[in-house]
Amino acid sequence: MMLEHVLVLSAYLFSIGIYGLITSRNMVRALMCLELILNAVNINFVTFSDFFDSRQLKGNIFSIFVIAIAAAEAAIGPAIVSSIYRNRKSTRINQSNLLNK
Amino acid sequence: MDLPEPIHDFLLVFLGSGLVLGSIGVVLLPNPIYSAFSLGLVFVCISLFYILSNSHFVAAAQLLIYVGAINVLIIFSVMFMNGSEYYKDFRLWTVGDGVTLMVCTSIFVSLMTTISDTSWYGIIWTTRSNQIIEQDLISNSQQIGIHLSTDFFLPFEFISIILLAALIGAIVVARQ
Repeated sequence: MMLEHVLVLSAYLFSIGIYGLITSRNMVRALMCLELILNAVNINFVTFSDFFDSRQLKGNIFSIFVIAIAAAEAAIGPAIVSSIYRNRKSTRINQSNLLNK
Repeated sequence: MDLPEPIHDFLLVFLGSGLVLGSIGVVLLPNPIYSAFSLGLVFVCISLFYILSNSHFVAAAQLLIYVGAINVLIIFSVMFMNGSEYYKDFRLWTVGDGVTLMVCTSIFVSLMTTISDTSWYGIIWTTRSNQIIEQDLISNSQQIGIHLSTDFFLPFEFISIILLAALIGAIVVARQ
C-alpha cells in the first residue's frame, strides 16, 4: 500500500471534517463531523504504526485510546444536545444563547 | 494483509471512493438521518481499511465501538430530535461558507504538499535498520495486550475512570 495515498485520504477526511464542523448549524451534525476528524487521526496513527513501527505497535494502542475518548465524547455530546433541545425546542447552533439570561 | 497486488489496489480504490463519497454525504446531505447513515458507511470503510493495513485488533474495535455504539447513538439522537425544522433548513450560500471552504482547501493543499515533499522511504530505511528483531512469533493482539498491561497500564486505568465518569455524567444530564 502506498503510504502517501493513505495520508492524502486522511488529510481529505480531516479537512472535510473541519469544514462541516464550522459550517453546520445542526448540533448533531457537528458531532458527526467531530467523529470524522477523530477518524482521520486514527487512520494516521494506524498507518504510521504499520509502516514504521510494525514490531512495537504503539500507534495501535494510541488509536485504541482515541477510540475510547471518542466513545466518551459521543456519550456526553447527545446528552447535552438533548438537554438543550428540551429547554429551547431547537438544536440550531446559532440560536443557542442559554447563558444570555 | 498479504494479498496479490491487483486485488489490493482494487480494494484500496474501492474503500477510498467509499470514504470520499461518504464523507461528502455526511457534510452535504440536507436530512441528518441520511448523513448519519453515510457516517456509518464511512466507519465501515475505515474498519476494512485497518484490516488492509494489518491491524486486525483496531479494525475489530472500530467496527464494534464506532459502528455498533457511536453510530447507533447518533442515529438515536437524530431520531429523538428530528423536527420539521430540518426540511426548511435549505439555506443559501453565505459568505462564511465560502471563507471556510477556502480555509479548508488551503489546509488540504498545504498538507498535500508537505506529504509529497517528505522523503518517507529514507525514514523507513533508518527505522527498519534500528529495530530489534524480537518477539516475532507473538501475534499483534497479544502484543497489544502485553503493552496495555505493562507500559500503558496507568493510561489504561485512567481511560476506564474517564469512561465511567463520562457515562454517569451523560445519564445525569440526559434524564430529569
